[in-house]
Parts: sequence; structure tokens; C-alpha cells
Amino acid sequence: MFSLDPATLLVLVPALPLAGAILTVALGRLLGSKAHWPAVVSIAAAAAVAVTLLIGLGREVLGMVHDDHGSASAAPVESITTLWQWASVPDAYVPPADSPGIDLSAKAAGRPESLPFSIGIDLRLDPLTAVMLAVITCVGLLVAIYSIGYMHDDPGYPRFFALVAAFVFSMSMLVAASNFLLVYVFWEAVGACSYLLIGFWFRKPTAAAAAKKAFLVNRVGDFGLAVAVFLLWMTYGTLNFHDSLTSPVPGILGAERLADASGYVAGAVGTAICLLLLLAACGKSAQLPLHVWLPDAMEGPTPASALIHAATMVTAGVYLVARCAPLYVACPEALTVVSIVGATTAFVAALIGTVQNDLKRVLAYSTISQLGFMFASLGTGTLLGFTAAIFHLVTHAFFKALLFLGAGSVMHSMGGVIDMRRFGGLRSVMPITAATFLVGSLALAGVAPFAGFFSKDEILASLHARGWPDAHAEHHGSATHDSQAHLDLDASAGKPLWLVSDSRGGAVREAISDTAAAGTYRTLYWMSLFTAFLTAFYTFRAVFMTFTGPVRVPDEAGHHAHESPPVMTWPLVILAVAATVSGWLLFSTHALSNFLAATPSLACPAVAATATPHAFHIDLAIQGTLAAAMGIVLAALGYLGRRSDGPLMDRFLGPLETLFAHRFYVDEVYTALIVRPLEILAMLAAAFDRYVIDGLVSAVAGIPLAAGAAIRRLQSGLVQRYAVFGAIGTLAIVLALAWTLRP
Amino acid sequence: MTQDGLSATGSLLAVAVGCAAASVWLLLPRGEGGLRERSSRRFGMLLGAVALSLFVATGHRLGGIGEEATFLVVSLVAVVGGVATIVTRSPVYSAIWFALALAGVAGVLLVLGAQFLGVATIIVYAGAILVMFLFVLMLAQPTGMASYDRVSNEPLLSAVAGAVLLGLLTLFIGRLAAGPATCCAVPSKATALAGGVAPPIAPLPPTDSTGGDPLATDHVARLGGELFGRHLLAVEAAGLLLLVALIGSIAMVSRTPAEEQSLPVARRAGP
Amino acid sequence: MNPSPLVLDGLIVGAMLFAIGLVGILARRNLIVMFLSAELMLQGVSVSLVAWSRHHGDWGGHVLVIFVLTVAACEAAIALVIVLQAFARTGRLDVAAWQSLRESNLPRVGDRELPANDDTVMEFPRLTPAGVEPAIDEDELLQREHV
Repeated sequence: MFSLDPATLLVLVPALPLAGAILTVALGRLLGSKAHWPAVVSIAAAAAVAVTLLIGLGREVLGMVHDDHGSASAAPVESITTLWQWASVPDAYVPPADSPGIDLSAKAAGRPESLPFSIGIDLRLDPLTAVMLAVITCVGLLVAIYSIGYMHDDPGYPRFFALVAAFVFSMSMLVAASNFLLVYVFWEAVGACSYLLIGFWFRKPTAAAAAKKAFLVNRVGDFGLAVAVFLLWMTYGTLNFHDSLTSPVPGILGAERLADASGYVAGAVGTAICLLLLLAACGKSAQLPLHVWLPDAMEGPTPASALIHAATMVTAGVYLVARCAPLYVACPEALTVVSIVGATTAFVAALIGTVQNDLKRVLAYSTISQLGFMFASLGTGTLLGFTAAIFHLVTHAFFKALLFLGAGSVMHSMGGVIDMRRFGGLRSVMPITAATFLVGSLALAGVAPFAGFFSKDEILASLHARGWPDAHAEHHGSATHDSQAHLDLDASAGKPLWLVSDSRGGAVREAISDTAAAGTYRTLYWMSLFTAFLTAFYTFRAVFMTFTGPVRVPDEAGHHAHESPPVMTWPLVILAVAATVSGWLLFSTHALSNFLAATPSLACPAVAATATPHAFHIDLAIQGTLAAAMGIVLAALGYLGRRSDGPLMDRFLGPLETLFAHRFYVDEVYTALIVRPLEILAMLAAAFDRYVIDGLVSAVAGIPLAAGAAIRRLQSGLVQRYAVFGAIGTLAIVLALAWTLRP
Repeated sequence: MTQDGLSATGSLLAVAVGCAAASVWLLLPRGEGGLRERSSRRFGMLLGAVALSLFVATGHRLGGIGEEATFLVVSLVAVVGGVATIVTRSPVYSAIWFALALAGVAGVLLVLGAQFLGVATIIVYAGAILVMFLFVLMLAQPTGMASYDRVSNEPLLSAVAGAVLLGLLTLFIGRLAAGPATCCAVPSKATALAGGVAPPIAPLPPTDSTGGDPLATDHVARLGGELFGRHLLAVEAAGLLLLVALIGSIAMVSRTPAEEQSLPVARRAGP
Repeated sequence: MNPSPLVLDGLIVGAMLFAIGLVGILARRNLIVMFLSAELMLQGVSVSLVAWSRHHGDWGGHVLVIFVLTVAACEAAIALVIVLQAFARTGRLDVAAWQSLRESNLPRVGDRELPANDDTVMEFPRLTPAGVEPAIDEDELLQREHV
């Protein structure tokens, strides 16, 4: 099946971009305008390897699925490659007697007296990783190729490609890492790459400020991840995903614990871990309380925005939650929070997106909004929800990268102008960009044959399934699947409780008790549907403002506004094709969801038990399409063929427009609540330092100074005065001697 | 001398030294001017007279009245001349007072039996060096009374320093007079070896045939023999020193500041 | 053998001269007077030396005084040249004129404002300036011609 050992191939995926980055750094100046070669070639090779891995693993998994006659619950597939042992501390931790996570899971091995802390450079290959690797490297490759044209003649040309390659390396390692510590390390590494790329034009003050902001806001999330890692270690006694021979405790996402019905800690500790992980995900994926950095991150070069701040890095949060699915499933409250955060973010970001005039910022808010969709889907806690989120992640990576690169193409042509009010009617000026941008917009809006339609439909379906469980139970009532989900109202317990009675084969009963939870998901469903409408509206508002109406070109573009060079348009075309067909391909064959279901995290009984048969919900599809159509029609009414600088939105929205345009004043609130107090604290500290600390130091320094000032008055320069003092001194000595030697 | 007598002499001498210091301080120019200066001068003179009387009163009785009177007169001339030298405002008067002091010193030297030195002092100092001083004063005479002649540098401290010095010296000389037991607290090596009390200051035996008693009649001949016999090398060295001083002073005076300013830098810096 | 009274008195006189010279050199600001004070100290030393010579009954003190005289002559020659050069530079015989090596932020020790001189007391001799052609009174010259 593989021409090479899959373990070797897996190592190659991050190793090649790393080599490319190092080569670019080493030879960048030598290569000059050819500095893109190491990065592009290495990422291309990594992409080829990643696709090979994906196809190989996919054949293996799907073949197995077909053997089982279409069973959704495929056997988990994973392979671990340990490169070397990073750290090994024997007897690092003696677990307390009532430590539930360790006690429960270590039944077979006997309770360990003390646990070693052993961390290896472990890479894993499973369906989720394979999908992520393929997306990262493929989008990375297209963006790198596009950048050859876009970044042409930039003074930091080699630096850009070195950073892109370093980012691809870090992101590959992040999704391939098989323990939480490595995840944390590369979580930080992608953050650093993001910081460096946002601040790529560091001489521009806004870019430097945006980079700083992104870094600082991400720190909040990183803090959550760090504490979550600590808690995981204290709770489970290991940080590995997989079962490892070096640790007596089964890995957190290892087969042994996954098979164990009570392998995961619920209650306060479990919820705390989940919420801290969610905080980390919110930071990286720009979800609601921490979303403020992503719009500002558009100060970076557009290809970097496309790669990092739209397609790949921001999806790290989604990946993390999906990877930790069993932890979340054990804590339904945390899941609900995930959904609420996601749907609210989607809604708020979409509202803000409707009034933005900066093309890239529209896309940035759309990214936040779409990531919110993914989180809402993850928060359902069903297999459908998880796979839908990853499905949307994949399609979103394609069409959002496409849209960003299209925006970059427009920006490139317009001489750096990105304000939609200053240009219009570019359809005739740059036809390829316009066509591909339209394809991306249709995909984003969720119009029928395009990728976004299918993935968004699945997300809505997953929410709908939680909102109206009865309907779905009836809907699928006749289906005869082993792992069919039943709803049971457990009113007496009053708390949601997932009862997993048996691992495999038996009837899995899940008790989703709360009608309140169902009500929540209903609200979230309607919110998401409305968000879908808003998405279509703002997307096509941008399309109409940019590409229709009379041709208007800003002065900065000069007289040579033209289509971008082929090196930039070809990636657009490829991505457009992907954005068109990927949805239908992946949805119609259920390949992606079946494939992902073989991920150990998602194949565990608790998650697999929630699997539903693949179905195309025509009612939901109609609702989604209607919402998208309404949005497009409304946008067409307002903007199609008009001059793009009309004051339409504020007339339509009134005071709300101000609220949206100021992004719900979140930045202002943060400034007032966090930045200002910290600044005042810093001023106080500075004053304390200057006046108290420095004052003390100066006082100490003042002692010799004062002594010197007193004594220096003696140095009058008068020889005679010196002679007087000398004579008196001598006589004093003689007097003292005479007194000492007196008879 | 009894213990009481010694202490009485000592306290008298202490008073005398204190009076001398106060007198010198009052007499020194302190830039007061007018009546204040005049009265302080008078008071200073009075105190000086008191101090001198006390010194005279505590002085040792010499052998003969004639010798005693002569010594008293010449030493008074020397000391009063010296004090007047340092307290007089005008440098010209200072020089003249210095000449008087020199005369007193020459007298003291004569009484001490150094006839040649007494005469040589008069000749060399009063005849040569002092005249040179006066010439310099003529060359470098500012118009009118210079301000720096009317004030002193730290007059009080200087007077105190002088008094302490005088007191110490008088104390030591008084101990010499009191005898060997009190003159030196540190036993000498010879005393330690002998195991007894040896006079710490013993007259050295004449070491040269040309030497002998300085009071002999052929005083100058003997001094000449001593000088050109035993100290011939030192005399030659002194002659060389005089030559060097002559050449040095000519070399220095031949280069006036104005000339030095006009010299090229290289020559100024070079040897 | 204790020193004789004459020797002791000589020593006392020498000590007094030395102390007076010390006070003078410490207190007076005129370079010439300082120099005279130094000579006075030398005289004090000479007297002491001679007294000790008398005490010991040898020629050492005498010989030493002769060398003191020699050195004093050399010293006077050199020092007076230096004084002259110093005067040529500053126009003063003031030792306080030379105080450039003081601490930089200290004020210069200048002459304070002195009260007016009492001319009746301060009779002041004037020597004819050397090296300067005296101003000749025309009338006197004419009268001399007539005589």
C-alpha cells in the first residue's frame, strides 16, 4: 500500500517544511528573488507526502468500513511514531489516594505508587491528523505559490517564505503531536509564526500594534491551555494521547481508556479542564471573548492572512476540541458552553461583518463567524457534530483561502487599497479573480452545489438533532443500526447524564435529559440559521460592491489596474475547483465522516454511540438555502450594480449600524476594563520604580556624594592651605607620639 | 630643679607659647584696616612683649652676666626681627626686618662660638641674598599696597601650628635640660647592652686630627681644614650645585612668558 | 652630660626662629615674604646646628651650616627666578593667584573686599623701579643746566 513506511512519511511532513525554512533563512540573501524555491519545493513535497498518507489511510479505513457493510463505527486507527524521548523524570508525581482519573483507568495495571513524567517527541497518524495535514500542506502550498507573485519585490521576500515554511512545520507538528505538552509547544510556535507574519511589515505602526495585540490576546488562551495541561497531568497522571509503554497509566486518548466507560473524569475537574481547553481554543480560533485580534491581524500580508488567519491556524481550536472529544462528552455542561460560545460568536461576527467596508475585514469577521459555526457544531457532542465541524473546517479552508487570495489579488491590483467604497465594477478588469471570488462567495454563503452548502447543512443538522431530539428519533426510528441513539428523559436525576452501558454491539442508551438543553440548542439552531442568512448577505454585499457597478479604480492603482499574474490566478482557480467539488464529493460519499469516525477520539463508545445514519435532511437544506437566498437577494437589492460608496447600511440599520461598525464596542470595553487599569498600574509601578526604588538607590549613592562634596571643599588649589593642613597634621602626629612616649 | 619647679617652669612656658601665638595672630595682617587693625597690632605687640619676658624669665642662667646680657640682646634682636619680618605688610620692610633678624642670628652664632659662620651669615645673607631679594622686589613691585599683603592665609591656624611646634620643641629641649632619665623614654641599644643607664647624648670624641675644639683660637683655620679635608667631596658637590643653580636660573629667566608663547609648539614640547 | 645652659638657650632661640618662619610661610601670601620666612627657618636650623656642635665640641654643625648657606644661595637664585616668572605671568606676587588645580565647582579664593587703608598708619616706601627709565623733571633739568 505504501511505498514507504507510513511512520517515515509522517515524519517527513513536518520535517520538509522545517528544512525549507532553515534553507531559506540560510540562503535567503544568496537566492534573492528566487528565495521562494526552498519553501515552495519543501511544502509541495510535504503536501505530496500528506496526500499520500491521507489516501493510504483512507483506503485502509474505508475499506474496513466497507467490509463492515457500511457501519459508521469503524475500528479506531492510529499509529504512533516516537522520534526520541524528550524528558523522562522517574517518580515525578505521587497521585493522591482519591485521584479518580488515575484510579479508574489504572485498574488493570494496579494502582501506581508514583508516576514517571515521560514526554516523547511522539507523532501520531490517525484520520483526523491525516485530514488536517492534507489541508494544511495543500493550502500552504497554494498560498506559497500565490505569494511568489504577491510578495514580489518585497524587501522581506526571503523572510516571508521562511516564516510560511516555519508555520507549515509548526502547524503540522501541532496536529501530529501525540501528547499535550507537544501540542502546547507547537500551539505557541504557530502563535509565534502568526505574530511574526502579522507584524511582517513591522515598520508600519498599525501592523506592529496588531501583531502585539494578537500575541497578547492569544496569551490569555495559552494560559488556559497551560492550566489545562497542568490539570490533565494532575488528574490523569499522563499527558500522552496514546497508550505508552513508558507510562503505567493509559494515555488520555489511548485505546484502553477510550474503551473504558468510566475512563474520564466528569464533575468540576472535568468541566474545568474542558472549559480551560475551550479558553485556549477561543484564543487561537478567535471566539467570542477573545476574537478581537483576528480583524486586526489583517494588517499582515494577505497570503499570510489566507493561510494562517483563515484556513489553518485559526482552526487549531476546532482541532483541539475535536481531538479532546471524549473529555467533552464526559462533561455535557462544557459541551453546551462550547455550542453557545460558537453560535454567539457566529452571530455577532456576522452582524459586524455586515457593516465593514474593508474587504479583508469582512472576510476576517466571516472567518470568526464560520469558526463559530464549527464550535457550535462541536458543542453538540454528537459524532455528526464533530465530523460536521471538521467537514466545515476542510471546506472552509478551501473557500476562505480562495476568498482571501482573491481579496489579495484585488488589493494587489488596486495598489494596496482594500476599502470597498473606493473601487467597484472590477468584474471587467480582473475576470478570473471575479469569477473565482464569486465561487468562493457562493461556497461561503452556502448555495447548493458548492462546498459550504453541504458542510453548513451538516452543522445545522447536528444542531437540529440536539434541538429536536424527538423529531430526529422519529425520523430515524425505523433505521436499524447497532449504535442507534435513543433519547430518554431522566427527569428524576435532573442532570444530564450520559450512560454508556456497553462498549460495542449492545444497545447504547443515552439520556439527554434536559428539555432546557434542547431549548438551548433550538435557540442556537435558529441563531445559526439567521447567521447563515447574514453570511450570505455580507458576502454578496462585498461581491457586489467590489465587482459590479460602474468601473471605479482608486488613484493608487495608477492606470494599469489589471488582472494578477498567472502565478497568483492559478492557485485561485485550483481553490475554486476545490471549493466547488469538495463538498459534494465528501458529502455524497460520506467518505470524510466515515474516515473521521475511525479517529480514536471519535471512535470511542461515548461518541460513537451518538452516531446517526447519514441522511440528507431535505427540510434543513431548504431552510438553509432559503436563508442564503434571502441574504443574496437582499444584498442584490442593496448593492447590485450600484456605486459601492452609497450610504445604504446606516440608513437601513439606523443606530444599530454604529453598534456594528464599532464591533459592539468590545475593543473599547477591553480598553476600559483591562488596558487602562493595566496602564495605570504600569504608571504606578513606573512611578514607584522611579521615585521609591531609584530614590533609595540615589539616596545610597548620595552618601559618598555628600561625603565627597564635604571633603572636596578642602581641595582649594591653594598650596598654602595644603601646607597649613600638612603642618597641622604632622604636628598632631608628633603630639600623639609625644603623648604616647611620655615618661 | 624640683618637680614643682619644673612644672612651674612648664606652665610658665605654656603661657608664654600661648601668648606668643596670640601675639603673632594679632600682628599678622588680616585685612581689617583702620582703628581695629591698629588696636589689634598694639595688643599683639603687648602680648608679644609678655611672651618674650616669660621666655626670658624661664631662660637658663648663663655663666657670666656679660655673656648673658649679650646673648639676651642678640637673641631678642633675632626673634623680634623674625616676627617683624613675617608680620610687616610691606615686603620691603619685611626684607629690612629680615636683615635685622640676620644680624641677631649672627650675634647668636658669635656667642655660640661660631665666629666664621656669624660673619659668613652677614656676608652671604645680608650682603648677597637679601640684596637679590630687594632687586626682585624692585622688578616685581606692584603699584601701591597690594591687597594680598594686607590679608593672610589662615592666620589663626598658622599661629596655632607655630605655637604647637614651639611648644613641642621647648618641651623636648626642657627635657634635655632635666637630664637623661627624662629626656628619652626609648632606651637605646647601647643602654640595653650595658644594662645600665647611659647618657643618651654623649660628646663624640674627635675623629680627625684636623678637628678639635671649635672654640680654639685658630678657629677659622681649623674649620677650613675640616671643610677641605674631611668634607672635600661635599664642597666640590656644593660648588657643582652652585654652578647648576647659576645655569638653571639663567636658563629660566631668559625665557619670558611672551617669548614662550611665540615659540612653535614643536620646540616648546621638545627637549 | 646634660647640655650646657648656653646650648639650651641657643636651641630655644633656634626653635623660636624656626616656628616664626613656619608661621610666616603658612600665613603670608606674598611670595617674597614666604621666601624670607623659609630663610628664617633655615636660620633657626643653623642656630640649632651650631648649638649642637658646641655641645659635642666638633665641627659637624659648622660644616653643615656652611652647606646650608650654599644651598640657600642656590635656592634663592632659582626661587627668585621662579617668582619673577610667576610675576610676569600674573602681575602679582600672590601665591593665591595660582589655584587652577582646585576642585572645579569651588569658587575662586579671591581677595575679599578690604576696608580702606588708613594711610596715616600705612606709610609705604617706594623703591625706584628697576629697568625703567626714570621720569626726569624738565624744570629740574633746566635748573641744573643753569647751575
